[in-house]
Order: sequence, then C-alpha cells, then structure tokens
Amino acid sequence: MRRLFTLLLLAAGMMAAAQSNVQYELRVMAEQPLQILDTFPQPYQTEKINVTYQDGTYQLLGDTLAQGADFVVAAEAQAEWRAEFDSIFAFEAEGKHFVVWQNNRDIKNAQKRARAGNARTAFLTYLREQTVAPSRMWEYIGMGAAALVILLVVLYAVMLLRRKQAEKSMTSVQRETLHRKIADRRRRLFSQTYLWLLLLVLYMPILLILVYSFTESKVLGNWTGFSFQLYGNLFLGKGGEALNSAIINTVLIALIAALSATVLGTLAAIGIFNMRAKQRKVVTFLNSVPMINPDIITGISLFLLFVALHVSQGFWTVCIAHIVFCTPYVVLSVLPRLSGMNPNTYEAALDLGATPFQALRKVLVPELWPGMLSGFVLALTLSVDDFGVTFFTKGSGGLETLSTFIYADARKGGLTPELRPLFSLILILILTVLVFVNIRADKKAQKKA
Amino acid sequence: MKKLSDIASSRHTWAWPYILFLVLFVVLPLVLIAFYAFTTADGRFTVQNFLKFFTHSEAISTFVYSVFIAVLNTVICLLLGYPAAYIMANEDYRTPKVMAMLFILPMWINFLLRTVATVELFNMIGFKLGEGALLFGLCYDYLPFMIYPIYNTLQKMDRSLVEAAGDLGANRAKVFTKVILPLSMPGVYSGIVMVFMPTVSTFAIAELLTHNNIKLFGSLIQDYITTSDLLNYGAVLSLILLVIIGITSFFGSTEDDSQKGGLI
Repeated sequence: MRRLFTLLLLAAGMMAAAQSNVQYELRVMAEQPLQILDTFPQPYQTEKINVTYQDGTYQLLGDTLAQGADFVVAAEAQAEWRAEFDSIFAFEAEGKHFVVWQNNRDIKNAQKRARAGNARTAFLTYLREQTVAPSRMWEYIGMGAAALVILLVVLYAVMLLRRKQAEKSMTSVQRETLHRKIADRRRRLFSQTYLWLLLLVLYMPILLILVYSFTESKVLGNWTGFSFQLYGNLFLGKGGEALNSAIINTVLIALIAALSATVLGTLAAIGIFNMRAKQRKVVTFLNSVPMINPDIITGISLFLLFVALHVSQGFWTVCIAHIVFCTPYVVLSVLPRLSGMNPNTYEAALDLGATPFQALRKVLVPELWPGMLSGFVLALTLSVDDFGVTFFTKGSGGLETLSTFIYADARKGGLTPELRPLFSLILILILTVLVFVNIRADKKAQKKA
Repeated sequence: MKKLSDIASSRHTWAWPYILFLVLFVVLPLVLIAFYAFTTADGRFTVQNFLKFFTHSEAISTFVYSVFIAVLNTVICLLLGYPAAYIMANEDYRTPKVMAMLFILPMWINFLLRTVATVELFNMIGFKLGEGALLFGLCYDYLPFMIYPIYNTLQKMDRSLVEAAGDLGANRAKVFTKVILPLSMPGVYSGIVMVFMPTVSTFAIAELLTHNNIKLFGSLIQDYITTSDLLNYGAVLSLILLVIIGITSFFGSTEDDSQKGGLI
C-alpha cells in the first residue's frame, strides 16, 4: 500500500513538471442542422472544430442575441467559467462568430435564438481548462508499458533456457513434479493478475479523486501543483454555503436515522425473536420488504404518502424515510445475537426483582451490544450513501444532502472542488474502520482456534 | 410457572412499535402507488393510465431497453465477478485476505461521486460518453454486489466435497461443473438479484454517464413523478417496475440470509 502511494505521488509530480503552459481549449463539436430537439441529438460527434487559444486571448463580444453569429452554442461550462462570464457570451474564432449559452439544458432557447439570428447551432461539450500534459502523459505510459513488456519477454526467455538446461540432468519423476509445480505457479500468477487488473479498473476513478484532492485546480483532471489548499478550504468552510449545509444535513440525518433505527430495530428484534413461528414469518417478511425494494420505489412510495397526507416535505420526512430503509438491517444484525444468548437470563433478572426496563438495560443490551453496534454503523453508512430515497422525500424547500448536492452539481457540469478532499477523507476513514474490524475478527478467530 | 411464561410471551409486544411503523411507512405507501395508478388526478377510479402505457411507445421502448441494459449488465458482472470470487475463495490460489475487503470497499463510497469520477475519467482519456460508458459505469457500480454473495457461498462451501470429487477421478473441469458450480448457485442467484434490481430501476447514473442522451426507465418515472399533473401516470410506471422487482426477488428467494446482514 505504501509503495503504491509513493508511485502515485511520483506520477503526480511528473505530470506537474511536464506541464509548463496551460492552454484553454474550446472544442466545438457537431454542427447540427437547425431543428428543435428535446434532448441532445444522438450521434453528437460528427465533426470537430478545434479552436485553441493561449490563456486570455479569446475575444469577448458580449451579449449579442446571436445577431450576426455563425454559430450558437449550447455549452456545458465549468463552474469557474460560469462565475467569470455572464450566462450568455460570444466569441470569435477562425473568422466565425460564436454565441454561447452556458447551460446545456437550455438547448431550445439557444436554438430559438439561433433561428432568430439566422445562425447555425453547435454544441460545445466542454469549455474548460485543458492542459497539454495529459496527451504527453499517455505517451509516457505507453512507452513505459512497452518497455515493461519487452523486459518481461526477455526475462521469460532466460528463465525458459535455464530450466531446459536444468531438466537435462533430472529423472523423469523429478521432471514431472517440476512441471506440476510450474503449472500451479502459472495458474496462480494468471489468477492474481486478473484480480489486480480488475481492482485497478475499479479503483481508477476513486484514485483520480484521491490524487486530485491534493491540487488547487477547480477542474478534475488538471494538475496545477501539489497543495493542501482544498483540505484547508473544506475545514474552514470555504467550500460554499451550500456544501457546508449539505455536510451538516447529511451528518444530522444519518445520526438521527441510525439512532432511531437502532432503538426501534433492537426492540423489534427482541419482539420478533419471542414470537410464535407463524407471526415471526409475517413480520420478517414485512421487515425484508424495504430491503428488497429499490431506492426509487421506496422513495416514490413515501413521496406519495407525504403528498396524500399533505405533509410538507423536508428534513423530517427525509429522516423518516431513512429510518424506513435502515431499521431492517439493524433487526437483521441483532437477531443472530439473540439466538446465540442464553434465553433464561432475562427471566432470571425479572425473578430477582428487576423491572423489564432494568432487565433490558442490564441484561439484554450488554449481550446484544455487538449486533446493535454493527447495525448502527451499517445504518449510518446506508444513510450517508443514500441518494434515491432522499431525492424523492427532500421536498422543494432547498434541503440538500451530500448525494443530492453532488447530483445537482454534476448536472450543472462541474464538481465542487472541496468534494474531493471530503471524499478522500471518508475513504481513508472507511478503510481504517474496515482494517480495524478485520484485524479484530482475525484475532478472535485465532483465539478460538 | 404460569407467571414466567406470561412474561416471556409478553415480550413479543416489543415489536409492535416497529410493526406499526412498517404498516404506516412501508405497506401503506406501496398501497398508495397502486391507488394513484388506478385513479385520476382528482381521485376518481380509472384504468386510463394503464391504457396510456400500452399505447405510449416512448415508455414501452424505454422499458424494454432498460430491461435489456439491466440483463446485459448482470451478465457482464457475472462473467467478470464469478472468476474473481472463485479465485479469492479458493485456497489453492493463496489470495491475500485483504483482496476481498478491497473489492467490497468501493461499495461504501457514494455511488454518485464514483459515477461523476468515472465521467471525469472518460473525459480525461477521451472516451465518448454513451452506451459504452453507461455499461462500464453500471458494471463498475454493481460489480461488488455480484462478487460478494458468490464469494460468501464459495467460502462456506465444504472443501471436502471438492477433494472427494478429485479423489474419485474427476478432472479440474469436471470438479468445477459438477461440484463447485452447482454448490455456488445460491450465491449466483442472489448476486444476479442484487445487480439486476438496482440496475433496472436506476436513475441519475444513466443521465450522468450519457450526457442525458439515453433515458432509462427509472429516469422516465422520475420525470413523471416530479411533474405533479402526471403523477398518476408515474405511479403506473412505478407499479410496473414493482412487478418486475417482485418477479426477480421471487426468482432469487432461494438464497439464504448470508448476503446482506454481514457486510461489515
């Protein structure tokens, strides 16, 4: 793990060094014939007009309502461009006039204006900082890979030759055991390579976030030097009011939902455990329904409930919704503890004069504690992770959790930079917890053995 | 003696608050979906909404396409995930123990953020967003859900059966097809359910991965539910999705309780 990290840092350093001049690249894609469309036209990459500018040399023409423009562009612009320009701006390139609407949802409007101004419509997919480095980077990676392959082939040939030589002086039995050993080793090498490749692909996007959390750039994919600036911003709350409140909401909702789910679920588990078989079957089935239901169904059904009851949706409806899908998991984590404990201790406590509440607190809870804790942690992560249910129950009052905040952000075409350090931290936290839990489980297993 | 059993039996009442909660926030809302599906906007009974679905070509084609994508994604996840689970569970390959944990770890990171990161990765390497990106993104999001249950069943499998088959003269391929594969089927079923169900109902991911070019059934439902005058039609679409989910979970109900409770 440490070696991997060093490698990553090295790669990042190389990229920073390779990149001396930052350029702005405007990629205008797909000139479309003028027609009103509901969504983006299907094959939207038919022609590329590359217009490359040095930083700051593009010519701003201001808001012209597309009069005299050659192209009207519906653009997906990054956050910093949105801040820098108005929502509509125009520029000139290669003798052509472009007018840009910085909102890719606003295609109809762009086309209307284009028609009024007798211009054609184009789609600018990205209006963003683009460094020259990435293309070089891929070259280097390609060369490195080629060198590695050649090295491996040479090594393999040498190994093969040496083995042939050694085999000459062996008996047939020795040779056979050697061959079996080699086949085993080859199978193992092949399988481990497969696992590592799969992991690499799975982790690529996550590593991207991790690496780019250490640079100031507002855009993911543009390395502007190593920096802790984003971490600082995050902790000082400079990531913007919306992000701050999203973080607070997420934490509050997760805590409320997980705590309520743990209390409700533990009591329910004790109750279910003491039911007769038939009743128990019915309740366990009911309990499994929220787990089987996909997010969208849980979300929509609760949304309809709140609409039907005329409850205005917001913080508390999201909390209730989260309790709905968290509690079943608590029940399922507590139930196994119940079947593992001595069923008579509770009654013994009552016989010795404890009230049911005392017996619960002094006898049951200490026994069930591990199950409750893992249920609580599970509920916490489920709540933090949830998007579908929150999306439908958060109402229109502007309540955002991290998930819905990311969604809104991504739809606009950018990702608030401070999210990168935030999720790197969450990743490290989860990794630590998982490692800790696994080590503890291993120790327990060793003790048993 | 009687008193003791009284107390014991009274403990089942502790589940009542939760049962009440389930009825109010799980059963009633599901009934409401059906209610809204069969009523007009002002609350009168109608089957018009259903008829609309069967004549609404956009909805039908989106539905068929979503099921197709979900099936395709499930197959890809199975083909990629089964070997991985097999390698990790088989002691002959001496896979480090952390590996299983590393495969599960991405599940704990917000899937939207992972999707956004995937989109950024595609932009970086110049991969065009569209159907390919959608399939990659879906597979990327749900592969751990396929690997985990299969790994679980394979690990709990009685190794002596495999050894016995080998001793009785079966070669590696035979051992796999006659012993290991049949024994791992419960894990495969629950993996299929755990991948297929969220894929067929997914929204948001498709929108981000395809630049809003490809619409899946989930996004369609989202569109109708969030426009208030088409809410009843949205309920019909949800009900149809619910039926699909019901069929799938029935198909997967052979699996035991091993897959979800112990994710930590």
